[in-house]
Amino acid sequence: MQVAIFPPNSMILADMIQRKGHTPLVVQHQMKNKVTSAEIDAPPFNITEEGPIEGLKYAAIEVPSGVRGRMSLFGPLIEAAEAAIIMENAPYGFGCVGCHRSSELTVFSLRRKDIPILELEYPTSRDETIEMVYKINTFLDKLNGDEDDD
Amino acid sequence: MSKKENNDFDQEFCHIPKGDEYVVSDQVGKITRMVVLGPTCSVSSKEMFNFIHLLELPINVRLTCYGVNLNGYPEDVNEAIEKARALDPNHIFIKIRGFPPGDPRRCRARRGGAREGFHQVEAEYKLLNDVSYALEHPKHVSLEKPKKIPVEEFEDIVNEVNSK
Repeated sequence: MQVAIFPPNSMILADMIQRKGHTPLVVQHQMKNKVTSAEIDAPPFNITEEGPIEGLKYAAIEVPSGVRGRMSLFGPLIEAAEAAIIMENAPYGFGCVGCHRSSELTVFSLRRKDIPILELEYPTSRDETIEMVYKINTFLDKLNGDEDDD
Repeated sequence: MSKKENNDFDQEFCHIPKGDEYVVSDQVGKITRMVVLGPTCSVSSKEMFNFIHLLELPINVRLTCYGVNLNGYPEDVNEAIEKARALDPNHIFIKIRGFPPGDPRRCRARRGGAREGFHQVEAEYKLLNDVSYALEHPKHVSLEKPKKIPVEEFEDIVNEVNSK
């Protein structure tokens, strides 16, 4: 099953999804397509004006081009998602979640889809981290349909 | 001689040749994975580097401070990842990466400073010790949010505490 994650570049979330045999939908896949395709392999043109145009599918024309450009990367992941894990309140410098409006729009779009969603807070202590891992594993096992009550 | 005549896209920055036709990437069909070793991992990054080299797979392996980077065709990289993870399953984490290792647009050897994604790896690295503990002691928990207790019950608790 294809599982979308938020923040869309989280190593821990993507790794745990892979461990349970699912496919994580991460933004790095999108970036790889951008930076290794033949016509834009010459740096630094890895973001083109096509991005904001593609982003119009997810956000109105009044929305800043930065948000639309980001949505052109996040949008295909949201469309392909069959389940989602959303971790809120990640640190500001946590990869690509620096643009709060894009993050809000991505989470909003995921919530609007009729898919199973697990919502978590970014852990700040040892107990919270352990609880987070337990919740993710329980959620992923439920997706597999093989949860037992231990 | 001008840059265009020299068929070089940007001599000062990247030295990637660009003629009249588009550059054909050597990265087509290849994937990149980062093997990140947790703080309590029983394998060092150098050991991991040697282990992957000794698998003799046709992949590009790059030693880093947090583990190794692998680049190659999916079947080879996935085989290397499976075997590498088996060394210490609960303490070895895999991250997907978009840019190939040593890419001049991101490699810090050329542009200085940490690569952008490094700060995020650094942030998550702080959690890996506890994540490893949880993976070693798996448990299923309720995904329901805890309900708020009624006021009457809360008053009883307050009274009980005050009476002590």
